[in-house]
Amino acid sequence: MPQENPFQDPLRFERRVPPCAVVIFGANGDLTKRKLLPALYRLAYDRRLAPGFAIVGTSRTPLSDDQFRDKMKEAVAAFSEDTKLDEDLWKTFAGGLHYVAGDIGDAALYQRIGEKLAHLDQAHQTGGNVLFYLSTQPSQYALAAQGIGAAGLQHGAGWRRLVVEKPFGHDLASARELSDRLHEVFDESAIFRIDHYLGKETVQNILAFRFGNGIFEPLWNRRYINHIEITAAESIGVEGRGAYYQEAGALADMIQNHLLQVMATIAMEPCASFRATSVRDERSKLLRSMKPMTPDEIRQNSVAGQYGPARIGGEDVPGFRQEPGVNPASTTDTYAAVTLSVENWRWAGVPFYVRTGKRLPKRVTEIAIHFNQAPLAIFEGELADGTPNLLIVRIQPEEGISLKFLSKRPGAGMKLRPVSMDFNYGSSFGERSPSAYETLLLDALLDDATLYTRQDMVEASWAVVEPIQNVWREESVDFPNYAAGTWGPDAADAMLARRGHTWRKP
Amino acid sequence: MAAAPPEKILKDLADLWVTEGKQEVGEAAHGVLRACTMTLIVITEDREDPADLGETIAALMPEHPARTIVIRLTGAGERSIAQRVFAQCWMPFGQRRQICCEQVEITCSDASLGDVPSVVLPLEVPDLPVFLWCRSPRLLGMAEFPALAAMARRVVVDSGALADAPAALRRLADEAAHGMLLGDLAWTRLTRWRQTLAQIFEDPRHAARLTGPARITVCDAGAVTTQALYMGAWMAGALDAAGIGATVHIRTKAQETFAELECGDFHARLERQDDHLVATVDGLSQCTLLPKPDDYLLLREELGIVHRDPVFSSTLASAARFAYATD
Repeated sequence: MPQENPFQDPLRFERRVPPCAVVIFGANGDLTKRKLLPALYRLAYDRRLAPGFAIVGTSRTPLSDDQFRDKMKEAVAAFSEDTKLDEDLWKTFAGGLHYVAGDIGDAALYQRIGEKLAHLDQAHQTGGNVLFYLSTQPSQYALAAQGIGAAGLQHGAGWRRLVVEKPFGHDLASARELSDRLHEVFDESAIFRIDHYLGKETVQNILAFRFGNGIFEPLWNRRYINHIEITAAESIGVEGRGAYYQEAGALADMIQNHLLQVMATIAMEPCASFRATSVRDERSKLLRSMKPMTPDEIRQNSVAGQYGPARIGGEDVPGFRQEPGVNPASTTDTYAAVTLSVENWRWAGVPFYVRTGKRLPKRVTEIAIHFNQAPLAIFEGELADGTPNLLIVRIQPEEGISLKFLSKRPGAGMKLRPVSMDFNYGSSFGERSPSAYETLLLDALLDDATLYTRQDMVEASWAVVEPIQNVWREESVDFPNYAAGTWGPDAADAMLARRGHTWRKP
Repeated sequence: MAAAPPEKILKDLADLWVTEGKQEVGEAAHGVLRACTMTLIVITEDREDPADLGETIAALMPEHPARTIVIRLTGAGERSIAQRVFAQCWMPFGQRRQICCEQVEITCSDASLGDVPSVVLPLEVPDLPVFLWCRSPRLLGMAEFPALAAMARRVVVDSGALADAPAALRRLADEAAHGMLLGDLAWTRLTRWRQTLAQIFEDPRHAARLTGPARITVCDAGAVTTQALYMGAWMAGALDAAGIGATVHIRTKAQETFAELECGDFHARLERQDDHLVATVDGLSQCTLLPKPDDYLLLREELGIVHRDPVFSSTLASAARFAYATD
């Protein structure tokens, strides 16, 4: 009797999900409609899901199975960017969609979910495998986990896993408390903390670029790298999320999770294998090597900003305080820039400049690695002192990698000019890239936690970010301090200028 | 006799990029991006519709950008070889810069086939994989084939186009045994079938019922085809690797296309029904779309495999052994 599937062909067959059910808490919410259902439908479109795959949606709104299916069909049609809604396929997919209404704090809801799962196990042969997805308000995470635990749904004939969306707490203490509550029900190995940035193809490509090639890693250290910039700029404002956003702010919403994870990926030590534990150990180690700053250091090495009104492209754009749902005296940061340092042999003395903001001139996320200048300038002219080499990893849009270096201008004399050597992800691989949620959902269903955040990483990130939050809370900044459509407050430029650096204009 | 010196073709290629670059002038110009991940050599008969092949190559380029060298065989006649170069360009959705690939077209008579490697080898892009897609069934039997195949790292053929399936498999197995890295579109056409069968055994309860011995029955519209032989050989090989003995039966009487696996009280059947593939396990059926794969879809899969394909290699060897048995 074979222990494994005898008919595998990993070179040609895509990874496939075993029979299972996904229970989505907050099934009537935006995330479910915009991201989760389109991603799951796409997995079905790509024939990645097992025939009996089932989804149980749950939220407070009373809906029948058919009403839920209709809503989800609308969502898939509206938010699947590059997947057409195939009626035949939808019929099969919708056959696996079920709905259970109820209050997340009501024990009866979990009894009904348990009965539904038992029924699905019989009807769809899900093998008792269940992935619980918490797509609710963060304040309900612990409640939902405990409801699952009280009903005994964390155990069954097959595997049981829990996916949690960020934020993972709002400071170190709340992150630990949330973790403790989740651990009362689920083992850490069954908890998947999703950070959709890590699911982006180009973020994953950082690992391929660094550890699949031999030429970059020898340069990847303080001897050759002068400083690193990580930028995540958005051109839009809070777009109706003002009420949520003013509780979070740019530092907590972006840097604490997404950008520190990106930084950990770009700066971590090579891992011994591409197994989840190995990769996550190295990411975690890097985050724990980051030096939490003293209040004085924070004043020197961090800048909070908030956008004010401006006129962009002939249109008046409101400031943050004028956005709907935002307190007119809000002191929330819509821009955050931080100089971070990593205390290990590889990176000692190399500043990592991390910035993010809303209403910046363009939407761009990139990592710029500035190499040291040539040790001796032997050429004459305006670039005689050398323009440092620059490696740009573009995460979005136009994903790719560029290397900037000096080249001789054609003609007499030895005049140099910078040129760019580009690798464009879209042109070298014209095939469609899966969305971050497709990648991450597939990974969770296949028990691959490589791209998921572990609790020790969450705590290490908060250990760096929380002292900054505390100082910012204590010291009032005169907001707004940058106009919408600009690259942030002047103080952010001054922060780099103290080390003789300037922000790159992506 | 016409000639195609490689230096001339290389100069034409260089000029092509200068011309493409000059067409993008003015403030709105974003330049032309050259994309190349491989050299793709296609050998085809001149009588084949060039538009069909052109569309297939154009569709492949966004996913497998390549310097494509199309060799058109004009058949009998005096020694003649001619060439032209052009660019294959497209504008990715939402972007402002055109992406272009190079295409070289060489026309030659059978008598000039021996000259082809000396023209093509200097045109291959250094350091990148070289694929040869042989669309001409008669070329497989020609004396020049080994020398042409040696230009590439991997050779893709279509044994389905050959009249005598057992003989075709023996020939391919022989080439593979001599070190040729082969791909066969007849095998590629089976991917959906194989994947569907594999999916049945993602459920460990099904795998647990494979306690052997097993009986495999394959029927490809009543003929002994390379596809039928591949499918039977692959299923038997996979079961054998799991310690389960199996007998393979290639049915030639029924006008159906199916593959069946029986093992004790376990019974699974895959069957083509028009444009659908119906998988039935213990009487429960599931139906999925099975459109006829065109050359683009088949090549797209094959060009993604640069190195040896171990499952295909072992299946080819055992399918060739079956082929001896069916004679």
